[in-house]
Amino acid sequence: MASSSQKQGSSKYVTLISSDGFEFVVLREAACISKAIKKMLAGSFLESKRGDRCHFEEINGIVLEKVAEYFCYNYKNRNREDVPDMDIPPELCLELLMAADYLDSECKKKSYISLNYC
Amino acid sequence: MPPPAAAPPRPARQIRGPQSALTDFLASQGINANQIRQDADARRAAARASMQTAGGDDDAPSPEAEPEAAPARKETKAQAAKRKKEEEKAIAKIKASKQFQRRRKQYGSDDDVTDEDDAARAIFEESMAPLPGQMENCEICEKRFSVTAYSRTGPGGGLLCPKCSKDLDKEEGSAKKKRKIAAGKARRQLQSNLLDGIYPGAKDLMTLCIETLAKNVHNADSLGDISDELVDKIAAILSKKRLMTPETLYLFLRPGSQTVTVYDAAKLSSDDFIRIFQIVPTVKHLRLRDAIQFKNKVMDHLLGTTVELETLSLHGSNLIDDERWNRYLTEKGSHLRALKVYHTDGHFGDEQLEMVAKHCPNLQRLKVCHNQKVTVDGIEHISKMEGLSHLSLELYKQMDGFVGTVNCASMIGSIGPPLRTLSLATIHYLTDGVLEAIHENCQNLSKLRLTDNSFFTDAGFAKLFTGWLNPPLVFLDLHKCRHIDAAEPRENPNKIGLGSAGFEALMAHSGSALKYLNVHSCRHISREAFEKVFAKDKTYPEMQEMNISFCQSVNDFVVGSIFRSCPNLKTLKVFGNFGVRDVGVPKGKILIGVPNALGMQIEGTEEDEGRVI
Repeated sequence: MASSSQKQGSSKYVTLISSDGFEFVVLREAACISKAIKKMLAGSFLESKRGDRCHFEEINGIVLEKVAEYFCYNYKNRNREDVPDMDIPPELCLELLMAADYLDSECKKKSYISLNYC
Repeated sequence: MPPPAAAPPRPARQIRGPQSALTDFLASQGINANQIRQDADARRAAARASMQTAGGDDDAPSPEAEPEAAPARKETKAQAAKRKKEEEKAIAKIKASKQFQRRRKQYGSDDDVTDEDDAARAIFEESMAPLPGQMENCEICEKRFSVTAYSRTGPGGGLLCPKCSKDLDKEEGSAKKKRKIAAGKARRQLQSNLLDGIYPGAKDLMTLCIETLAKNVHNADSLGDISDELVDKIAAILSKKRLMTPETLYLFLRPGSQTVTVYDAAKLSSDDFIRIFQIVPTVKHLRLRDAIQFKNKVMDHLLGTTVELETLSLHGSNLIDDERWNRYLTEKGSHLRALKVYHTDGHFGDEQLEMVAKHCPNLQRLKVCHNQKVTVDGIEHISKMEGLSHLSLELYKQMDGFVGTVNCASMIGSIGPPLRTLSLATIHYLTDGVLEAIHENCQNLSKLRLTDNSFFTDAGFAKLFTGWLNPPLVFLDLHKCRHIDAAEPRENPNKIGLGSAGFEALMAHSGSALKYLNVHSCRHISREAFEKVFAKDKTYPEMQEMNISFCQSVNDFVVGSIFRSCPNLKTLKVFGNFGVRDVGVPKGKILIGVPNALGMQIEGTEEDEGRVI
């Protein structure tokens, strides 16, 4: 994969870096469906100053690759309905689940639901 | 163009169907009306120069056939050119036709017909094909057969005999059927997702992971170190797919955990329930649904352990008798903070509620659902539970309306002030007195549910919400509060049920904070009331989900106004509202229950086109 864009400020792409040093360049718009990444890039975190590079110390390369693939898959299918499910290898399932929980790909919590079942 | 086949020897003539003697005679002479019409068509389009006769005599071809076929072969150059020209014209016309475009779409995926010209020619020749009721040679086996409306065309465009069609059907059939089934399945899945409130499109990563996990759950040894919230989500999805078995239960019994939730315990035995307490003795919050086998035996075991439950939620445990309930409440009631019992059939009645009032001083939540035993006396016992902040009752026992209302009102009078949620569902006999009691005593409610009642009046509701000191509600469910009269269903002289005045009052009071509103079957809310409440200048920023099914006055305009007034609305249900025909749904919102086969139509935005789902 190409190295990240060197220029400062908000480029069209962001770089995700895994704990074992793999780098993945993805579209900023695609990556920002993750609330965590959005906050990393928007807030006053180190990432926003260091040329849009996000370090994930707890996610390894294999899992992060799948995450990057999901970002592309989601971006590509953003305006479609009957979307075929993305293939997820069962052995990665739990690790990916934890990564997804951490990144919070899409927050769909409904606060009143908890009220509903009181 | 199929070559004109020589007429094979004609089998013995059979008379089929209602046919006059004249037709029969003409047919035997090779003359029939279809043939004549077709000949004329053919000549006009100059498509097929030689048309063979539909049938000759037994041995020799009929004398008329020869001269008809002969000139075609001997046509002059000018004639041939003319014929070709007209043929091209006809094909061009077909290409422009709608039928052709549709056909192209159909075949597009099949790669059957790649060339446009070929496709057009196929249709052209098809239109030239013999009409039902006459004889034709099969394209594949060359056998003679009579054409019916069901005769299908072969790969070359000619017709096939029944036997060959059958063979062809067999070959294609399975693939075609599979495709059809898959399409149906996909459509149903989409609708099912809509009902679950999942917007069509790519699923989020977490859902994908959990679904994959559910598929492979039999290979999993343990869930490892993941958060309680995720474990709960996985448990919910496994239960939805009915995969919660004694084997998979172990994944969710994590020693040291405080919470055990099984959303579908129908496949678990009594011993499995006992194992829960053995493996997770630290459990504080136990929630079990469909726990039919949670019976006396399990209760006895629970009473013998040191487990101190703070939350006990049992759904469908109708095999625990009243004696066990009494023992449990006396011995372990003091720890309970939340008690929820659903579907207990003949057990759990007034006596048990008395025990709860006596032995559970820390109780904050009480829910008694789908209960057939609790009577007005039970309601009286509830009024002694002063620590309650959440109360939910769904009682099915018939009782006197007057006494019920008095007891309920006095119960609300004594425990009303600290209540944060109040739910009185399906208690048919309550009257306006209860609404008054709520108005006067409850000032901390965020959720209110009063459903399935035909005594509350519109004026009563209006009075409840007018000048109520309670802050705006977040959750309100008043479904099926309406007048029922089979003889005169449309009349409502006494203004029973939630009507226009009540609806306007409730939106004025709670509209600013309301997230969930259910007024389904409140039939007497007028269109004017809806238009007034969802007028141009009114917005309800918190509203997320609304159910206005079976409100007869709702139409396209009202639905459009609701989408305009509630910018954060996610789901709107409009079952049985026949005034809703073709309203555009803004992107990102779900409209459920449109009474047509089309489903909901998403409006286009600047970036992409609208679509129909």
